[in-house]
Amino acid sequence: MSAVVEQPGAPVAQPTVHRASFGSLLRSEAHRFRSRRFIQLLLVLAVVGWVVSTVIGLLNYGTPDDGDLADAQARLDEIVAEQQVFYEECLEDANVPDDTTPEEWCGPAPTADNFGGPEAFLDKAPFDFGEAGTSGALGVAALAAALAVAIGATWIGAEWSSRTIVALLFWVPRRLQVMAAKLTVLVAAAALFGVLTQAAWLATAGIWEALVGGPDALPENFWSALLQTQGRGVLLVVLAAVLAFGLTNVVRNTGAALGIAFVYTAIVENILRALRPHWEPWLLTSNALGLVQQGGYTITYWNDGPIGPDGNPPEYYLGPLQAGVYLGLVAVVLAAVGAVLFAKRDLH
Amino acid sequence: MPAVQLTAVSKSYRRRGRPPQKALDNLDLLVESGGVHGFLGPNGSGKTTTIRVLLGLVSADPGGGEIRLLDQPVPDGLPDVIGSVGALVETPLFFPGLSGRLNLQLLAEAAGVSKARVEECLELVDLSGRADDRFKGYSLGMKQRLGIAAALLKAPRLLILDEPSNGLDPAGIRDVRELIRRLGRDGHTTVLLSSHLLAEIQQVCDSVSILARGRCVASGPVGEVLASRGSGDVLVQIADPAAAAAVLQGAGFSVSPADGALMVHSVAAPSDITRVLAGSGLYLEELRRVTPDLESAFLAITGDQPHDGPAAPGIPA
Ligand SMILES: Nc1ncnc2c1ncn2[C@@H]1O[C@H](COP(=O)(O)OP(=O)(O)O)[C@@H](O)[C@H]1O
Ligand SMILES: [Mg+2]
Repeated sequence: MSAVVEQPGAPVAQPTVHRASFGSLLRSEAHRFRSRRFIQLLLVLAVVGWVVSTVIGLLNYGTPDDGDLADAQARLDEIVAEQQVFYEECLEDANVPDDTTPEEWCGPAPTADNFGGPEAFLDKAPFDFGEAGTSGALGVAALAAALAVAIGATWIGAEWSSRTIVALLFWVPRRLQVMAAKLTVLVAAAALFGVLTQAAWLATAGIWEALVGGPDALPENFWSALLQTQGRGVLLVVLAAVLAFGLTNVVRNTGAALGIAFVYTAIVENILRALRPHWEPWLLTSNALGLVQQGGYTITYWNDGPIGPDGNPPEYYLGPLQAGVYLGLVAVVLAAVGAVLFAKRDLH
Repeated sequence: MPAVQLTAVSKSYRRRGRPPQKALDNLDLLVESGGVHGFLGPNGSGKTTTIRVLLGLVSADPGGGEIRLLDQPVPDGLPDVIGSVGALVETPLFFPGLSGRLNLQLLAEAAGVSKARVEECLELVDLSGRADDRFKGYSLGMKQRLGIAAALLKAPRLLILDEPSNGLDPAGIRDVRELIRRLGRDGHTTVLLSSHLLAEIQQVCDSVSILARGRCVASGPVGEVLASRGSGDVLVQIADPAAAAAVLQGAGFSVSPADGALMVHSVAAPSDITRVLAGSGLYLEELRRVTPDLESAFLAITGDQPHDGPAAPGIPA
C-alpha cells in the first residue's frame, strides 16, 4: 500500500453528500444482474439449447418430395390391402352370431383414413405450425419458467451467501427499498427473458416452417390464440422467478430453496396427486398448466367421487384466470414474507 | 456537533433455546467530530454490536436508549446521513465472482458516486493493479483493503472502521494506520476506529473509549486514559541490585527483582529513586519508566485477565 505514502494529498475532501435515489439503485441493480456469472451462464445454456433443438427439429422434420409421398402411399396401400384380407375372412367366418349380420359383426371395411392417411407413413413428416404452435409455446414457457426459478433463486440467494445485501444497506438504509429494487429488476428481467424465449420459439417455428414445413394453411384465429398463450407463458416465467426469489429470500440460501422446490415438484405434488386428488387445483404445477395451456386445464377425478349423471367421472376446470390469480397470490405472499423479515430482523 | 452519541443503549441478542446474550449494557458513548477516535475493547466486548446499532443493522433493545449519528436519530434519520458515513464492519462484503473494481462500481452507481472516485479509492489502497481480478481470488489483506476503499468511496464525514487491520501484513497495517491518521487530520473526516489492539489505538488515535462487557469503562484523550492507569513501575539497572533493593525498601519503595535488575513499583517521581540511591553511594546505570504499561493498563481497565493467545510482554503465561 505504498500508494498511501506516495500520495499524501489523495483523499480529497469532497463536500458533496451522496444520496442514493431509487433510480440509481435500480440502475446499479440492473448492472449487477447483467454481471452475475451464474445468470450469464444460464443465458448461454438457454441459447445453446435453442440452437440445438432447432437443429434437431430440422433433422427430424422434412418436406416430402413426390418419391417420399409415393413410398408412403405404397406402404399405406399395403397395409390397407392386408387389413382387407382379414376383413373378408371375418365376413366369411361362420361364427357370426345369429342376431347380427356379418357387416355389423365385422364393422366397416378398412380405408386409408383409418390409418391416418399417407402422411402417417412418411419417414419425416413436415412441421405443422398450425398444429404445434400453441403447444410449442407451452413447452417453451415451461422450460423458461424452470430457468427463471434458478435465476430468481440465485439472484437473491447469492446476496445472502455473500451478504452483499447487508453491505448495500450502508448505502441505502431503507431496507424495503433495497428489496423492491432487487425485485423490480428481477421482474423486468424475467419478463424480458420470457418474451425473448417466446420470440425464439417463433423464430424456430419460422425456420422449420420455411425449410421443413407442410402445405397446410394456418387455422382460423391461430395467431390470436398463439399470442395469448405466449403472453400467459411470459406471465408464468415472471411468476416462477418471483416465487423462487420469495422462497430463497425466506430461507436465505439458494441451495436450500432449490432443494425445497425440487422436493415439492418431484415428490410432494406427486404424492398429493395420488393420495388427495381433490387437492390438485391447489398444486403449483397444475396451476402453471391451467394458466398457460390453451383452454386451461381440466382435471378429471378418475378414482373417486360419484360418477356424474352423464356417466363421466367428475371434472374440475382450472382456467387461466383462476390459475394466474392463485399463482400470483402465492408469489406475492412469499415475496412479502421475505421482504418483511428482511426489514424487521437484525442483520449481522 | 458530536459525530456519534449513544445514551443508555442496550442490546441483547436472542438465541434459540438459550437465554439472550447481552452485548451492550446501558452503553454511553460520545465521539466528537474531528480526529481519530479509538474504540478499544477485548473480543466480545461489544464493539461490532455498537457499530451495527449505529448503522441500523441491528435494533437496540426498546426503552430509554438514544442513538444519534451525525446528529440524526437512528434508525429514522439514517437515510439523511448515510451519504456522509462510510463503514467497514467486521469482514468486507463483496460478490466473490465479480472483480474488485466492479464491486466498487456497483456501490458507487447506487449512490451516484463517480467512476473517477472509484479509481481514486482503488489507488488509495494500492489495489489498482489487481482491480480486475475477481474478489474471491484476493488475499485476506486485499479483501480488507477493498473494504476500506468501499468505505472511502463517499469521501465520508464519518468513517467507521471495525478492526481494519485484520488480515493485513505488517506493511499493510502500517499503511492503513498512516491513511487513518491522515484522514483524521484532513479537517473533514472523523474516524471511528474499532480495535482490540492497544498499540494500534495508541499509534493513531487522538481520543479513545474503552469498552468492556458492553459498557464504556473509560473515555478521553488517549494519553490521559492510558497513562492515568499506568502501573508506575520503574526498571533500575545497577551494579549491586541487592544493596540497592535494601536501600530502596528502607526508603519505603516497593521493590522486586527483575532479571538482574530491579523493578520499583508505584513510583510517583523517578528522580526520588536517583536521589535515594545516590544518597547511599549507589549510582544508577539505567533508569527506565515502564509506564504506561499499556497492556496491563488495558487489562486493569477492562477487568480482564490475559487469556489464551500471546500474553502481553513481561507477563508470564
Ligand atoms: N449474532 C449474534 N448472536 C448472538 N450473540 C452475538 C451475536 N453477535 C455478537 N454476539 C455476542 O455479543 C457480544 C458482543 O459481540 P461483538 O459486538 O461482536 O464484540 P466485539 O466486536 O467487541 O468483539 C459477544 O458476547 C458476542 O458473542
Ligand atoms: Mg468485532
